Amino acid sequence: MGLLARLRPRRRARPAAHEDAGTLFDEAFLRKLESLALVSRKLHAGRQRAERRTRKAGSGVEFADHRDYVPGDDFRRIDWSVYQRFGRLLVRLHEEEEDLGIYFIVDCSSSMAFGGGAKFDQARRLVAALAYVGLANLDRVTVVAVRDGVAERMAPTRGKARIFRVLRFLSRLEARGSTDLGAALGAFAAQHRRKGLAVLVSDLYDPAGFERGINVLRYHRFEPYIVHLIDPAEERPALLGDVQVVDCETGDERAVTVTEALLGRLRDAQRGWRGEVAHFCASRHVPYFAAPTTQAFDELVLKVFRQGGFLR
Amino acid sequence: MRWLGLPLAQLLPLAAGAAGAVVLLYVLKLRRRRVVVPYSILWQRVLRDRDASTWFSRLKRLLSLLLQLLLLALVFAALGDPRLTASWADGRSVVILVDASASMQATDVLPSRLAGAQVKLREMIAGLGANDRLLIAQMDASVTPLSPLSGDRAELERAAERLRATDTRADLRRALGFAADSLRGVERPEVVVLSDGALGDAAAAGEGLLEGVPVSWLRLGSEGSNVGLTGLSVRRYPLDKSRAEVRLQLDNAGAEPATVELSLYGDGRLIDVSTLELKPGERLPRYYQDLAGADRTLEAVARVTQGRDLLPADDRGYALVPERRRARVCVVTRGNTYLEAALLLDEYLDVTLVPPERYPVRGGFDVTLFDGVAPPVAEDAGAALYLALPAQGGPLRRGRRLEGFGFDSWDAKSPALRYLALGDVQVATGYSLRPEPGDRVLGASDQGPLLVGGRRDGRPFLALGFDPRDSDWVLRPAWPLFILNAIDSFGEDDASFLSSYPTGQPWYLPVPAPLERVSLLGPAGDEREVPVRGGHAVVFGEHAGFFTLRSAATTPPFESRFAANLAAPEESKILPPEALDLGRPLAPLPSFDAKARRELWHYLLLAAAVLSASEWLSYHRRLTV
Repeated sequence: MGLLARLRPRRRARPAAHEDAGTLFDEAFLRKLESLALVSRKLHAGRQRAERRTRKAGSGVEFADHRDYVPGDDFRRIDWSVYQRFGRLLVRLHEEEEDLGIYFIVDCSSSMAFGGGAKFDQARRLVAALAYVGLANLDRVTVVAVRDGVAERMAPTRGKARIFRVLRFLSRLEARGSTDLGAALGAFAAQHRRKGLAVLVSDLYDPAGFERGINVLRYHRFEPYIVHLIDPAEERPALLGDVQVVDCETGDERAVTVTEALLGRLRDAQRGWRGEVAHFCASRHVPYFAAPTTQAFDELVLKVFRQGGFLR
Repeated sequence: MRWLGLPLAQLLPLAAGAAGAVVLLYVLKLRRRRVVVPYSILWQRVLRDRDASTWFSRLKRLLSLLLQLLLLALVFAALGDPRLTASWADGRSVVILVDASASMQATDVLPSRLAGAQVKLREMIAGLGANDRLLIAQMDASVTPLSPLSGDRAELERAAERLRATDTRADLRRALGFAADSLRGVERPEVVVLSDGALGDAAAAGEGLLEGVPVSWLRLGSEGSNVGLTGLSVRRYPLDKSRAEVRLQLDNAGAEPATVELSLYGDGRLIDVSTLELKPGERLPRYYQDLAGADRTLEAVARVTQGRDLLPADDRGYALVPERRRARVCVVTRGNTYLEAALLLDEYLDVTLVPPERYPVRGGFDVTLFDGVAPPVAEDAGAALYLALPAQGGPLRRGRRLEGFGFDSWDAKSPALRYLALGDVQVATGYSLRPEPGDRVLGASDQGPLLVGGRRDGRPFLALGFDPRDSDWVLRPAWPLFILNAIDSFGEDDASFLSSYPTGQPWYLPVPAPLERVSLLGPAGDEREVPVRGGHAVVFGEHAGFFTLRSAATTPPFESRFAANLAAPEESKILPPEALDLGRPLAPLPSFDAKARRELWHYLLLAAAVLSASEWLSYHRRLTV
């Protein structure tokens, strides 16, 4: 059974966790997902012990630093080898391992459903796979649907058994309405004080510009990742002649005589715009991943995202 | 500039209407298809540059409209067929007379001389100058114009296609007269004759015609080997109508001896084959006597077994054998041994003897013989032969009484008196006759008419002014022959029966009186309606063979067959002469080698096509939209 079928709402009794996990993805893919983890370049404060390092000196096993001993410190943390060499009492600091907050922000505007909904399906597949990776690493996974605001939100959850909750949430989503990433992500940032990874899965077709939304995440100290969904069919629409072009979100109309030359310029504009997005992200150290709908999502997850440093 | 196509009065309103329609179509707002796109911002980016050149787009749209209007103008100008006035006067007016007589079917030019003429004709049409005009006419026994005086190549090509050979002789004088009439008053007239030169006395034909008009001749054909059947006739023997006598004639027009196998077909069955040797130039008449086996049709076929025969059209002859029918004869007499003996000679006579007091009798007779009596003639009595015409009751009055007389003159061409010698007939007593206007005196003594023929109430009659028994005529062979001739002359087996009609002249074919139109079924199976004038169907004979006239308008349906033959020894002489003697020098053949026509409509249409292609290309390349 394909993932899309899994994304459809089901009324049957909820299966056992290990059973569903086994049928959601094939076994080999699941094992590969479980061996992966989302990479955070920053250290974010967690609330529960987990597998993520924090800046807090704690009981973890990873050495972090030394500091001078002050009265009241645990004697057991004094590094005696340093004292032997330098004659100073220094205390060993270890990194506390806590959970990571991962936010999957899914664009649910009308443009995502354009062309048969290939982008929307691809987005939900990717979020499902990445969420499984996060859940398997005991990270706090939150899924948020945005349009011109926050449309829906799935409460934070941990543990890979919760993947079905994620799937049910994704299956309920519908692509409609217009896009305003600035307003939507502003609302998202206001609702989520705890910082973490913010994975924006979108086609970035925002009439007001994609930059505002990404900047909002940056300014609110989230660690944004941009997964840019691309439908290659949009590069070369199958139309010629005199047409009235209508924007699927805004309803803006424009009379156009479509020629081969115009289609060529449209293709160039599309590629130029994607270049602008990539350049914007690179110049601001925001990881950017192009996710064409023609590319298998497992290949994207296992190969492209790993090569791009999104997963390790 | 002259306009030879559609008149300007039609052209201008049409052009204005079309231009209006084009402008209206341009003014109408284009209804565009709605297409939903995911991100119109990209389209706006692409179209930003185009927006900057909106005024240019409008200009291009205007240019497109102007282009369409120009296209229309070119098309309508082409329809008007404009010609430059300066070059118009240069055009020649040429009448081409194409010989389609029987000799043009000769095969020394393959497939035939006429086909060769068509090839030459097409070459002339192809090389026609822009302002030249041609008139193509078929020349055979008549002249048939196949095209008007025109420069339209397509029309002339179609005319050349319509040329068909006929089994007739060519009438050059008639054709030249037609050409003279056609070229009267036109600039630069010329006449070209496409022929094999078998045109009879050409010098006499051209006399007084086409003075000052160049006449040229294009010779077709080169050989003269031919054996032709130049005559065929058949008749039944008067006294034995089961048998027929056939006369035919063969001509070897070639310079080599020929062996000919001559076959005769009676009613479609082969009844005789003979082999004949003909010397060069020999004319060989041949008679078939006592020929049996042909009841209705006779066809002769000459096939050359040694030698060459280039003209198949004269290898067949057709003849219709006179219909053999028993004539019903009523004899109103008190007894006449000589008369009854004469009637016994023809077994095909159905004789009924009736005493005068029992007349009339019903019977539907073809002929009634009144022997010394003249009662009122019954409706179905047929023709009437009066012997010893009485003073009262006959179709004409008796004159004075004659004694000791004979025939001093008689009409030997009359069917009733053929084969007869009446000069030594001696008559004891009798009466002269008083013919009425319209009657014919067939025999007379120096004292007055003795035998008169005529027609009363539509019924033919013959009247004899004396009793044959008062003469020695009844003791002579001329007596029974006269009786039988007279009966034959009244019936269809008359001497005027034509076993075949000659082609190349009008045929007047007798049909029943009430008919106004009849169908003519030709030898090739073609059928057409022909008019009836004065009791005769009128047909111009163009082809040899067996024909059938028929009509379902009468009861019983009318049907009559007849045969037609070429039978023209001159047409069998197919060797073309070296020169055509028209009684004056022939002009050299006019040149038909125009490299380009100066008709402007070609170029106008070409320009329109180029413009249309440009418009199409620019539209689909979105250069003008």
